[in-house]
Amino acid sequence: MLSNTKKISLTLTGEGGQGIQTIAKILINAAVDAGFEVAYMPVFGVEQRGTPSVAHITISDKPLRYPKFDIADYVVILQSRAVTAAEKYVSPNTKVIFDSSTVSVSDLPKTSVHIMGLPATKIAYEQFNPRSFNIIVLGALTKLLDIPEKNIWQMVLKVLGKKFKTKEIEKANNDALLYGRDVVFETKDFTKAIFKAKHKAVIFKGHNKHGELLPGRCKGCGICIAKCPVGALSFSSDLGVYATPIPQVDLERCIACGNCRNYCPDSSISIEKDS
Amino acid sequence: MEKIMPNSWRSQSKPHLFCPGCGHGITLKQLGFAIDELKIQDKTTFGIDIGCSLLAWNFFDIDTIQTHHGRTTPVMVGYKTLKPKRVAIAYMGDGGGYAIGLQSVLHAAFRNNPVTVVLVNNGNYAMTGGQMAPTTRPGEIAATCPEGKPEEYGAGFKGPELIRNIANDKAFITRVSVSKPLVLKNALKKALENQIKNNSFSFVEVLSICPTNWKMNAKQCFSRLSEMEDYYPLGEILVQKEKKNVE
Repeated sequence: MLSNTKKISLTLTGEGGQGIQTIAKILINAAVDAGFEVAYMPVFGVEQRGTPSVAHITISDKPLRYPKFDIADYVVILQSRAVTAAEKYVSPNTKVIFDSSTVSVSDLPKTSVHIMGLPATKIAYEQFNPRSFNIIVLGALTKLLDIPEKNIWQMVLKVLGKKFKTKEIEKANNDALLYGRDVVFETKDFTKAIFKAKHKAVIFKGHNKHGELLPGRCKGCGICIAKCPVGALSFSSDLGVYATPIPQVDLERCIACGNCRNYCPDSSISIEKDS
Repeated sequence: MEKIMPNSWRSQSKPHLFCPGCGHGITLKQLGFAIDELKIQDKTTFGIDIGCSLLAWNFFDIDTIQTHHGRTTPVMVGYKTLKPKRVAIAYMGDGGGYAIGLQSVLHAAFRNNPVTVVLVNNGNYAMTGGQMAPTTRPGEIAATCPEGKPEEYGAGFKGPELIRNIANDKAFITRVSVSKPLVLKNALKKALENQIKNNSFSFVEVLSICPTNWKMNAKQCFSRLSEMEDYYPLGEILVQKEKKNVE
């Protein structure tokens, strides 16, 4: 679309740690290589993880006098907690692209009309490594913006090259990029937001023990699993608040020592004996 | 049933802002339980520093003061001077307590000001990306010393051992670790009681983990923490009795 429009404004929103600023960097560098003028403004908080991270990008064929914009042409929302950060930039003409496997349609800004779903988390979990999530988004975005695949892959290697320690990781990322470029955006039937954390507590009961686990607070650090003296805890397939796996308990082996409760930094797990 | 979360925690602000697996979460949880057990929630004031510790701004359902970098101790000392019936907790990281704010901590200990200082030591400047700190052990890897901390930058900073030389006899100084949460809770409880009953200074250093900047999983984090515990010995650090230079 860069070929027939003169100026495009794009707002990428997600959560710290998802790789928003990394894909923004790759995107703008590839656009500069293709001969465009670019303005890029990263906005993020002091936290290392878990709060909205926003990238405002303007791409134009003429020199840019002013880098800010009020309404974006494209808004990308990759996490439901980042919706509030994107709301301001959405008008009825804006095209809203969202990760339909973590953000449900009802969470989107009320002013959004053109919505396009991209189940990137689901694709990453089912077909690639969960960490290649942002490369899939990058592939889909660059296809939408008509930036040639060759430019993008060179830029990916330049920015992320050091992290690709083996040829296999490099190939997996190339596959993810190509897959992302071939993804068809969902416009009517959206994938259910299955990777969103459940609000209800998981209740454990049996073997004279009871307890609870709150997926809405569990960040999947794995301390409870590392500190369990009998190995009764392991990761399950359900997901917590940062889309990381939550623990499950083998109550038969559990001795209700209370280690998981004492160590959990997020106060999300507790198991004890029935009195 | 035992409470999954301390009463003094503010449930609306959870999940909190710390990284997954952060030692601050474990420390603040045990601090919350200690406050619950002493029943001082309505008369406690919590002062936080710049650094990762500032992410606790809405953590507790108690009055919280955000102070300048390294100036948490003097702000809480001033607060305690005006409101002697309140319980003042100064919460900081190793950057705020041992680097920029060392003089404040030392003088509060020297004057025996009745505040409780809780210092969380994870051996790096975590909020800015894990740079080398005074508490980084020799040979330990951080972002600005990828081949280990060089010898010319000195040894790891042992704060409690320094403070004990000038502290009052009534002061309570200890070093605990997040690998032993119940010991941590009892130390925090004792430190708060020392402030309330003895009207004296108390200092708790908590050895902590930083999975994000150490780039490790839970198991590796705790094995690195046990190496840290070997370098920084745990337990109560008794105040030096002979203080010829001071008095």
